[in-house]
Amino acid sequence: LCRISMSMTEIRSGFSAIKANIQARDPIRTLSILSYPHSLHKVKSSDRCCITHQLFNFYVDKVFKHCKTEDSYVNRKISSIANSFLSVKRKLRQCHEQNKCMCGQEPTEKFKQILANYEGLNVTSAAIKSLGELDILLDWMEKS
Amino acid sequence: DALLPAPQNISILSTNMKHFLTWSPVIIQGETVRYSVEFQGEYEREYANESWIPICECSLITATVCNITEDISATVAYNLRVKADVGARRSEWGTLKGFFNRITTSLTPPLMKVIADGYHLLVELEDMGPAFQFCVLYWKKGQESRMQQKVVKEVRSVVHLDTMEAGPDYCVKAQTYVEAINRSSSFSQTQCVRAQGGRSMWLV
Repeated sequence: LCRISMSMTEIRSGFSAIKANIQARDPIRTLSILSYPHSLHKVKSSDRCCITHQLFNFYVDKVFKHCKTEDSYVNRKISSIANSFLSVKRKLRQCHEQNKCMCGQEPTEKFKQILANYEGLNVTSAAIKSLGELDILLDWMEKS
Repeated sequence: DALLPAPQNISILSTNMKHFLTWSPVIIQGETVRYSVEFQGEYEREYANESWIPICECSLITATVCNITEDISATVAYNLRVKADVGARRSEWGTLKGFFNRITTSLTPPLMKVIADGYHLLVELEDMGPAFQFCVLYWKKGQESRMQQKVVKEVRSVVHLDTMEAGPDYCVKAQTYVEAINRSSSFSQTQCVRAQGGRSMWLV
């Protein structure tokens, strides 16, 4: 079992501080990166670690770097979320290296769908939308 | 314009998850020197072209200290730097020697007040912020082997520990725990109290 500690409270408070600002920058309301076509809540518990690991890699490798804004306060909060994600990403990688966070076909397909949703938009819009959906990820992680 | 000397003796004061950057003043006779601070987390170094992020509360300030607590909000290695300005003249960046990771913050035992309210053993704990939990140990004096523990995750005004018997002293000590860095402080001084009750009453 992959057990990692993370400061969910800090990430949530960082995100709450900029959520309205970020979501206001996302004009495309009819699409979702994380929840189309299926909600994260449909992911089986055995696949949770794999999806979490993939999503943290996704946010660190692809999303945060394209979210720079003209607002220094927003940039600072994005930095604190990104650095927290990087810290968690490392712990998840350790689990993966210890074969505690393996990926079967289903979660791999699910993550491919998320990537397809992401790559279906131009990079800045996709990154801002993904950042705006962070609470979907955080809720899913905390709920189960 | 001649370059100003860069700020020196840049260091971090970090206690109980409150982090301050300090430096020595740059002295320019007859001039007011102003300072600006920037930070760079591991994410910026590895994924964002080593970019630096300004702390606007510490932009063009005259003080030689900056509260960086809000920006050091992940348990990774941070770089910090300061520069000086006088009008159009500017210094090079002075950079903190080595990284700062909040895992090195020094943790002090919590302030604590033990109260005997009749036969009730209560403790008042210092509110140290949302990052802090408390481990409270309490025991009957002389019976250290039967020590009991209570974990307090959220500070309320008063925490009820136990109902005391008349006669013996009850002793209490506490330490803080910070989940974000998975570390604890040392224990506080032990405080002992005795039940405040009068004669034992039997209701017939």
